Order: sequence, then structure tokens, then C-alpha cells
Amino acid sequence: MVPVCLTVAAVVSAVCALSLGTPYVPPARLLATLGSDGLAGLVVTELRLPRMVLALVAGACLGAAGLVLQEALRNPLAVPEMLGVSSGAALGVAAPLVLALSVPLGLQPFLALAGAAFGGLLTLVAAGFGRSPSSVLLTGAAVAAALQAGLLVLMVMADQLDLQLIYRYLLGSLSARTWDDVTGLLPWLAVAVPALVLCVPVLGVLRLGDDDARALGVRVERARVAALGIAVVLIAPVVAVCGPVAWVGFLAPHLARRLKPDGGAAGWLVRSALCGAVVVLCADQPARLALAPVETPVGAWTALVGVPVGVVLLKRGRRLAAGRGPVRGDLPVQGGPDGRGAGGRAADASVPLLRKAER
Amino acid sequence: MSVLETAPGPARRAWHSSPAVRLGALGVLVCAVACADLFAGRGVTGDGVRAVLLGGGDPMAEHIVLQLRLPRLLVALVAGASLGVAGLVLQSALRNPLAGPEVTGVTPGAVLGAVAATGLGLAGWDSPAAVVVAACLGGFAGAGLLWLLAGREKGDPEQTAVYGVLVSAVLAGLTAVVLLVAPGELGSVVQWLIGSTEGRVWQHWHLLWPWAAVWGAAAWLLAAPLTLLRCGDEQASAAGLDPGRGRAAALVCAVALTAGAVSAVGALGFVGLLVPHLALAVFGADLRITLPGAALLGAAVVCGADAAAQLLSRLLATALDADRLTLPVGALTTFVGAGLLLVVARRRADER
Repeated sequence: MVPVCLTVAAVVSAVCALSLGTPYVPPARLLATLGSDGLAGLVVTELRLPRMVLALVAGACLGAAGLVLQEALRNPLAVPEMLGVSSGAALGVAAPLVLALSVPLGLQPFLALAGAAFGGLLTLVAAGFGRSPSSVLLTGAAVAAALQAGLLVLMVMADQLDLQLIYRYLLGSLSARTWDDVTGLLPWLAVAVPALVLCVPVLGVLRLGDDDARALGVRVERARVAALGIAVVLIAPVVAVCGPVAWVGFLAPHLARRLKPDGGAAGWLVRSALCGAVVVLCADQPARLALAPVETPVGAWTALVGVPVGVVLLKRGRRLAAGRGPVRGDLPVQGGPDGRGAGGRAADASVPLLRKAER
Repeated sequence: MSVLETAPGPARRAWHSSPAVRLGALGVLVCAVACADLFAGRGVTGDGVRAVLLGGGDPMAEHIVLQLRLPRLLVALVAGASLGVAGLVLQSALRNPLAGPEVTGVTPGAVLGAVAATGLGLAGWDSPAAVVVAACLGGFAGAGLLWLLAGREKGDPEQTAVYGVLVSAVLAGLTAVVLLVAPGELGSVVQWLIGSTEGRVWQHWHLLWPWAAVWGAAAWLLAAPLTLLRCGDEQASAAGLDPGRGRAAALVCAVALTAGAVSAVGALGFVGLLVPHLALAVFGADLRITLPGAALLGAAVVCGADAAAQLLSRLLATALDADRLTLPVGALTTFVGAGLLLVVARRRADER
């Protein structure tokens, strides 16, 4: 059911992305228009096609990053938004804009990278390099809030024109992106994809819990830092180009687990990237068309749709887990995946927000 | 039960004095901080403020002190008190040490309500009454959304908190959409998304204090049942209290207090989350004493942050030679609050 829905949504959105808008190009004529010289051809090949590709790539990156973080921290709520990574990257890009420093376009990913790494590392350092997943998450929430406050201070200082620009950017927007932006992402992908492939086996081991992972010879703290590093490399360039498209890293991994509950880390990673791509592409259509000619930021739509759907998936996972014992793939909220095996570790790894109040 | 409470440090053992003495000491602290806030701002020197307070001074200084600084100070005090009480009531009712108004959908809902009302032209920033109503409606909507979402898991405090975080995210997304439809509001709203006491006048004060007084009194009347609720639902029902009804009444109080504070000063980060912990550490778990304590602490914290923010922005303005630079008080509370939260997380990790 879910795979069919996703495929249909992907195809429909792709056709919408290329044909709807002004000028309208009928789907049947899309292929003929692609290479042609007319206005329609230019619009499709130079504006709509790169935008579609960008949406797909950005979504895939965010989805993969979300899965890596969730698996590495063994926490269904460990998403870039809650670890200071997204807000750090956004701060890195927005600061020069407000302070009127001119930054060449090519440098922007590095600024975002520096910001994201700063946010993520701050979280890890403050949490004592990942002593326990729960403290990492609690610390991450604090760091994210502080970085958000920094952003808001910048916005208070900015003047009206800058403000709208920054605000639009902060919500994540794909408007007016060209092929240059797409090719700018490629070198980063060239770094990130091999790293992802390398980290998959470790992710599978981390899932078993800290003690078991240590017994299998994984240095847990280092593995967690490495996973965070990979997530940063995936997120930073995307944020630099389109802004922090919110909550895709939350929704995509949950969708992926739903697609194949008994898949391992590798299967989920691929599916999570695909789901992320489809989600952003779908969300970009209402962003483009809902209030035309005014464009709404895609991030607002992903937040509006992504969070409720993610919550439903979380709840389903919990109910399944409660109904027929622990199910691989659905991360039950309480206790997490570690709740099923090593009983002693369950309390340690559970999310602080989810912590059982001492009765 | 609470994050801070679980670690009785030497500081806590030193508090052997009676609650009345502690409340009195806090009252003195609030007065001191309030004086500091009066003297901290720009435009009038300390001598000018003193002259005005003694009944003299030139008209300009008089206007600044009596029409600008005094209402600002009072609004900061009452808003801080409201947030502190609201946070304590929420944390006690939901039995969750992390259930501040920020993470239960109340504050984001109130922000959304106020922004939507002004963005759609139903209320203006010059008519605070409509904004209060809109913020209240939004706050209740946020809390209601959480209520619906939590569904059958309402009795489960930690689940409720998780859904609260997510509800907040959705509400923030909606706020963003509203702001994009009405971009003209952006400038005035941004200050307020972070929390600022800039430009609060007597009109705000006249609206805020009766509201805060009524709901604060209601919260205090609920103190005894809330103390029971903190011990757990079984204990509460064994003592003859209907936990569901008590919790609902407490939530209504907390939402109303938060909405009032948010419509006056915006979403001040971390005040509602951390002040209750401080109050519990100082006053213990008897809410009849701790609730007023939380109010005083909240007032002192927000007022102190306001004084510090004004001083800092004065320093920054002279250092950077930028006159329109102002540091909103919400930025300060958020930074400090985040720092405190880091310390708490660190300590919890050490305890293991």
C-alpha cells in the first residue's frame, strides 16, 4: 500500500513540477518541449528541471542524514532540527547576510558546514561526547534553542528588506535555483556517499545497544561522532542552497521503516533517502502553486505535513510494539530498540523527554 | 522527580530558614532587580532617574521614566511571574519536569494566535486587548491540539511532552505561513517571536495585571490538589481527588497565564521551563509556598534579564557605534536558559 502510494505521488509530483505553472506545458508535450528553443522549452529545462532535481537531491540528503542520526543515537526523535545541526548551518549562512559581509556563492556551503559542525560539536562536547544518547538529545535541544535565539537576534538587527530575505531562507525555499546550485551540491555528495556506505555496518551494530556494540569491537563514542560528521556533511550543503527544509529528516526515516519493517540499516538508508526525495518533491508543488504567484517556502509545508504524519507513524510503531512484542524496525518510543534485548540498558538510553517519571 | 530536585546539593541543605524568610528575601531581591532595571536603560542618566523618583527632574526625563521605563518594568515583572507560575503548574499537573509552556504547544499556540489575528487584520498592535484574546485562543488551541494528539495516552506524562514538542513544530510552521501571507508584519513580529519588553506602555500593564491576578489566584487555590497530583494519580484519588478534573483545571490556569504573558512580552524562552526547578529547589514540594515563590523568582529572573539586556545593548551601542542595536530580553533568557539546561544535562550524565 505505502510503496504504491509513494510511487504514484512521486510520478504525479514530477509531472506537476515540470508542466504546471506559467506557461503551462501539457504533460504529453513535455518530452518534445525539453530540447526546444522556445520560451516553454527554456522555462522547463532551465528553471523547472533544475528545481525538481534540487528538490530530489536535497530531500535524499536530508532523509539519509535523518536516518543516520536516528540510528546512531538510537532515538526516533534525533533529527537535525533537534540537535543544533540545522540551526547552526542556518546561522552560518544568515550571519554574513545581516552583517553585510559579501561572501562568494562558492563559499556559502563552507559557512553552512562550519555552522552545522559548530552546532553539532557543541552538542556533543556539552553532552560529554555522547556518554548516553539521552543526554545528547537534551543537550541538543538546548543548543538548538540557543542558536535559534542567535538567529532571532540577527533578525531583530536586520532591516526590513534583509529580513524578508532571511525569513524566506530560514524556512527553506527552492525558488529561483538554477543548474549552478545543483552542480554545487555534487562535490559534497561525492564525499558523503562513500562515507554513508562505509558507516552502514557500524550503524547496524550500534542499534544493538552500547554494551553489545562494545563487545563487538565498535568504539561507540567515536562511531557516534563519525555519524554526526556524516550527517553534517549531508545537511550543510543542502542548507546552504535551499535553507533548512524542516522535519524531512524526521519523516523520511519513519516512512522508510514502515516500508520495510524488517530491513537492516542499509535497506532503511536507501529507502529513507528515496522517501526524503519524494517528500520534498511533493511538498514543493503546493509551495510553488498554492498561493501563486506568491511562492510559499517548501519548509513550511514539510513541517505542516511531515510532523503529523511522523507522529502517526511513531504511534503506529508503538502500538504494534505493544501488541505483539518488540518489532524490528519500528522504534518503540519507550526504551527504544535497546528495550528489547539488554534490559539493564533500557533506562539509560530512553529519551529524557520520554523518561518514565519516577513513580 | 524534577531534574534539579534529584540532586540535593550543599546549597539546598543550607536553606534551613523558614519559608517566610525565604519569600521575604526573594521579595527584597525582586525590589533590587526592579531598581536596577529602572536605572539600566538609555536616554536618562542615573542622576536623572533619581531626581524623577524624588519628585523633580526635567520633563523629558520624567516622561522617559514614568511613561516608558516604569510600565516596561511592571510588565516584565508580571509577565515573568505569570510564566514562572504557569510552568510550575504545568510541570506539576503533567508530572513532567520538562513540560514548560514552550514544549506543550501553549506558547507557540499563543504566538500563532496573536500573529494570525494581526496578520489578518482582526487586531492591531495598537489594540492589545484583541491581541490578548487572540493569544488566549491560540494557546488553548495549541493545548487542545496536544490533548487530541495525545489521545488515550493522556495519563502518560512523557508521551504528552513528546507530542508537545511536535505540536510546537507544526504551530511554528503555521506561524511562518501566516507571516509570509502578511509580510508587512514581519518587522514588528520578530521582536516578539523571541520575547521583548521594548516599548511596553501603561496600556499593556492595565490589561496584563488583572488577568495575571485572577489566574494567579486561581492557580494558588489549586495548589493543594496540585501538590497531591505531583505524588501520582493513585495517591491523589486515594486522597479523594479526581485526578482528571484537577489536571484539567490546572491546565486551564497554566494556558491562561501563559497566553497573557505571551501577548504582553512575546515568547520568552526557558523562563517557564527553568524557573519552576529553581523554585522547587529553594522552597520544596509544598506548592502553597512554592507557587508564590515561583512567581517571585520568575519576576526577578525576567526583570534581571531585562536590566542586563538594556545594559548590554547600551554597551554594544557604544562599542559598535550602532544606535538602533537593541538586545531583546528573550535572547538573554534563552541563552542563559540553554546554558543552564546544558549544565543539568551534564550533571545527569555524571550521576550515571
